[in-house]
Amino acid sequence: MTFSMKRVMAIFQKDMKDLSKNIYITSTLILPLFFAFFYGRMDNLTIDVHYMVINLVLAVVTSFVQCAIIAEEKEKNTLRGLMLSPATLPEILGGKSLVSFILTIGTILICTMLTDYEPVNLSLVALAIIISILFYIALGTLMGLLSRSVVEASVLIMPVIFIFGFSSMFQPFAEEYPILSVVDYLPSIQLIEVAAAVESGSGFADVVGNLAIIFVWVLVAMVATAIVYKKREMDE
Amino acid sequence: MENVIEVKSLAKIFGNQTALEDVNFHVKKGETFGFLGPSGSGKTTTIKILTGQLAQTSGDAKVFQTPTSSINKPAYRKRIGVITDNSGLYSRLSIYDNLKLYCDLYDVPTKRIQEVLQMVNLTDEPKKPISKLSKGMLQRVTLARAFLHEPDLLFLDEPTSALDPANSKHIHDGLRRLNEKGTTIFLTTHDMTEAESLCNRVAFLNRGKIQLLDEPKALRRQFSDASVTLELKDGREIIVTGDAKGADAIHQYMATGQVVSIHSNEPTLGDIFVEVTGRELV
Ligand SMILES: Nc1ncnc2c1ncn2[C@@H]1O[C@H](COP(=O)(O)OP(=O)(O)OP(=O)(O)O)[C@@H](O)[C@H]1O
Ligand SMILES: [Mg+2]
Repeated sequence: MTFSMKRVMAIFQKDMKDLSKNIYITSTLILPLFFAFFYGRMDNLTIDVHYMVINLVLAVVTSFVQCAIIAEEKEKNTLRGLMLSPATLPEILGGKSLVSFILTIGTILICTMLTDYEPVNLSLVALAIIISILFYIALGTLMGLLSRSVVEASVLIMPVIFIFGFSSMFQPFAEEYPILSVVDYLPSIQLIEVAAAVESGSGFADVVGNLAIIFVWVLVAMVATAIVYKKREMDE
Repeated sequence: MENVIEVKSLAKIFGNQTALEDVNFHVKKGETFGFLGPSGSGKTTTIKILTGQLAQTSGDAKVFQTPTSSINKPAYRKRIGVITDNSGLYSRLSIYDNLKLYCDLYDVPTKRIQEVLQMVNLTDEPKKPISKLSKGMLQRVTLARAFLHEPDLLFLDEPTSALDPANSKHIHDGLRRLNEKGTTIFLTTHDMTEAESLCNRVAFLNRGKIQLLDEPKALRRQFSDASVTLELKDGREIIVTGDAKGADAIHQYMATGQVVSIHSNEPTLGDIFVEVTGRELV
């Protein structure tokens, strides 16, 4: 198995340039920025509010951009050309993941400036967010492999936004509907728990369990992606 | 001479539809090989199998002595160029940026872009976005992209179907030059003039089967009835058979100074196709 960083960067540069001209996909960046701007005008925001914005970025930017730029390659028949070139699918997906990763980091930085979020322990919070980004990229890749067009991608992303973007809203109902207690294990909730613990002075050892749960999500999403990828290698 | 493509008893069945049936042929190194057939005869299906995009139902398909199911490796991909009927380009990006991506993927210096744009007669506006191009221009950009890395083996699925005669001729010249430099070309077409002018050998594909395979010249000789058409001064056109009787007739007309022109009636590849398959080549 060869993996060429040069080809990954070629795909990355192409996608960055293409995205800069793609209003349909980049307009989704506005949603979390709007929320951040709106909340940013208030004082003393709770961790829940900060992370509602960050979780929204992860769903709307990370997963959606990743999913949409893969789906568009299929829709426009350009993926075929890439696959017939020396580029391998891991290289293609690697270049795209880098795009989603950088857009995500940029959007989160702007949002947290707007909401004035300054974590007590920046490196720990950054670690939790980066592991989370890996999960949302894997999820976006999985959905991108499953959808055939950007419109399909937009539909598929809806439940993701709903489940991961607004998961904290389901938590109050967990007493009434015990099934909803699984919500506590969602990566979005785990991320909030890490951040809340950090604010109250916890260190790495205290949150390692939460980080591990998010990491399990990363592994599950990657395995699912690998399975779908193997099944879709040739067309029939 | 080494065979670049080898196909034995190849078959492809989609559901209950047979797209290819017992297809056998080989392409020698340095050849330009034409696959002629009407719509739906299985040309694109053959290219897809040969380039590893589609698995055959049965039979062998080898490219560079390697089964096409295992050519999906960068080392092989670098030696192969492919254009199919749905090769996509990035519509928001310019001609130049589309080609630059492929330069990077194939490890080719970007100065090559100018050369391939010359080959397809598209040097005017390299910064123009793909979305603003006409159909013929799109086809030429796609061709330029396939020429970038000067592949050892080039698959072209109806390379000039959207082009005017002048641009077709320009592309044909470019293909001849590539071929002279060592690229083996496998092309499909339903344009028999294209096949005649480019191909060393052609195969007639009809309903998934090869019905005839030979050099265009040999085919025309084989199917020629040796008759000739005489155009006379009084405006008549008469056909004389290629035998002693015909020779006498020609002698007569010539001796009496009635002949304006004489044309041999060799059939075109299209005529031969109709004769062999009973179908038009469209
Ligand atoms: N993915 C597919 N699923 C089902 N049938 C298919 C598929 N691809 C091709 N076929 C069928 O196989 C036959 C051969 O198709 P193919 O595309 O190879 O023809 P072609 O010679 O390239 O035609 P054209 O000149 O119109 O491009 C057709 O009858 C077509 O309907
Ligand atoms: Mg075809």
